[in-house]
Amino acid sequence: MNKQRLLYLFLSLAILLTVSACGSSLILENVDFSQPIESVLVPDSDQMVHDQRFAVKFSISPILTEENLTEIDEIRLIRNRAGFYFVTAAGFNNVYVFTPGESVLELVEKVFISENGLSQPAFNQRETYIELIDRNTGETFNLNY
Amino acid sequence: MYTLTKVTLSFITILLLLLPSQVSAQQSDFQIIQDFRTGYSELLNKVENAVSTDELNEISEEISSFEAQYANHESLINDAIYPDTFDGLMQDLENNFNISNANISVIEQLNNRVEDLVDEMDLFRNRISDMNQEMVTLEERIEQSSENESRQAALIRQYRLNIDQRDVFVSNFLEELVERYQNMDSSARSEISDASDRLQDNPVDILKTILSEYIQLANSDISLNLSDYVSMRAQHGYFSNVWDRIGTQLTETFVPDGPVVAEQEVEDLLVAWQAAIDNNLWETLAASFSENDIELEPFSSSSEFYTSLNSYIDSSYEASLESNSEQDYQRFLNFNSFWNNTVKANWGELLTTGNVLTYSEISAIDMKLNDWGEASSPTSNLMFILLIVSIAVIVGLVVLLVTKKS
Repeated sequence: MNKQRLLYLFLSLAILLTVSACGSSLILENVDFSQPIESVLVPDSDQMVHDQRFAVKFSISPILTEENLTEIDEIRLIRNRAGFYFVTAAGFNNVYVFTPGESVLELVEKVFISENGLSQPAFNQRETYIELIDRNTGETFNLNY
Repeated sequence: MYTLTKVTLSFITILLLLLPSQVSAQQSDFQIIQDFRTGYSELLNKVENAVSTDELNEISEEISSFEAQYANHESLINDAIYPDTFDGLMQDLENNFNISNANISVIEQLNNRVEDLVDEMDLFRNRISDMNQEMVTLEERIEQSSENESRQAALIRQYRLNIDQRDVFVSNFLEELVERYQNMDSSARSEISDASDRLQDNPVDILKTILSEYIQLANSDISLNLSDYVSMRAQHGYFSNVWDRIGTQLTETFVPDGPVVAEQEVEDLLVAWQAAIDNNLWETLAASFSENDIELEPFSSSSEFYTSLNSYIDSSYEASLESNSEQDYQRFLNFNSFWNNTVKANWGELLTTGNVLTYSEISAIDMKLNDWGEASSPTSNLMFILLIVSIAVIVGLVVLLVTKKS
């Protein structure tokens, strides 16, 4: 019996080691996901936007719902070094920060900017943050993430 | 897994609400790139569409200013326009500028050349037009002065003078054409060809106009003399020679859509001109010989004229050999005088230039004339008489000697 238990114990240990070996992941650190320049995307009739250069395509309908808008002319999208997407548009009160998942963009933060809505927003990529400016008012917001 | 740190608005700065001048400091990188692209595209268009060196000089300054303006954003621009680069785009712009500059230099040279050509064509057309007007006026005055012979003769002299002036003017024009186009390289001809539609009248059109007017002149009712028609034939010969040398180049340059047809049209006009001249020339030439009691066989071409001359001399020569009469000798003297003093002295050069007779044909006629002269010269009876006298003297002496001995 002891031998049998010992055998089970070894087998369990071997399986555990094998599984743990299979599950070990290769991690590349200090990856820079930043877009050098924001993308200005025009939604189609289905409210889909497609950034061909940086290869991302999604629907902005849920964001418009959040902003109580039915349509907009264009949205502005930028990705920071860490890989978070920042989305806003003229008329928005907020900046939406998303993290990419498997076929999803998951909202991480909805950053309130202005009660009256942004007039002429634009994202700039900076060394350690995303700069949001409103070219109409001259307001500047530094978004650290 | 991402380690999320809470988004913080590190600071919200409201600028320019109080200091409007700082609004412009808030620049969108995207807008910078958009402005760069727009400005670059405009400059590229300006360079491609520039039509003068002055314009290019202004564009050059704009390019320098543009490059200086965006040099501070080079890194941003390089990121945004990857795989292109700021330096690469500026180099492309410079290359395009240099190409455009070279093209404009060629175009400006061509423009100058075409402007010169237009001026020359205008000058020529105006001068020919003036000459035509003078000729029409003279023709009218000649008709009106039919009752006054001396006045009409003076007007006809003036008319002839105008024809000569026209010939000289046209010849100079043809010489210029030969000088300009005979050795012109194909690229230069191609450039002029591209601009030929800017000419109101190109040289081929003008040559056709000249030929039509020459035909009209040859068919004119004004009675001209033989030297006038021989002059016309000489001018025709010169014109044909020039056309043979540069006709193809001219039509390919100025009628690029149909050079063969245009060349044929000019050649048809040349043939019509010669026919118009010849109708009068052969008739007047035969009349001139006839007026000097030299009846040639009818002729209607250069070769037939030469044949007629030969027939006349040959038959006269044969007659002189047979009869050796004073009449034959007078006939020879008459022909010899007309041939040397009128035909050769007055018309010789024109006849050869106008392809009526060649130098070798004239020489051949001269040689035959020598033979005819020898054959027709009256033979002297003096020797025969002296012989008879000598024989008579000898016979007399013999008779005298015989008589004395007996």
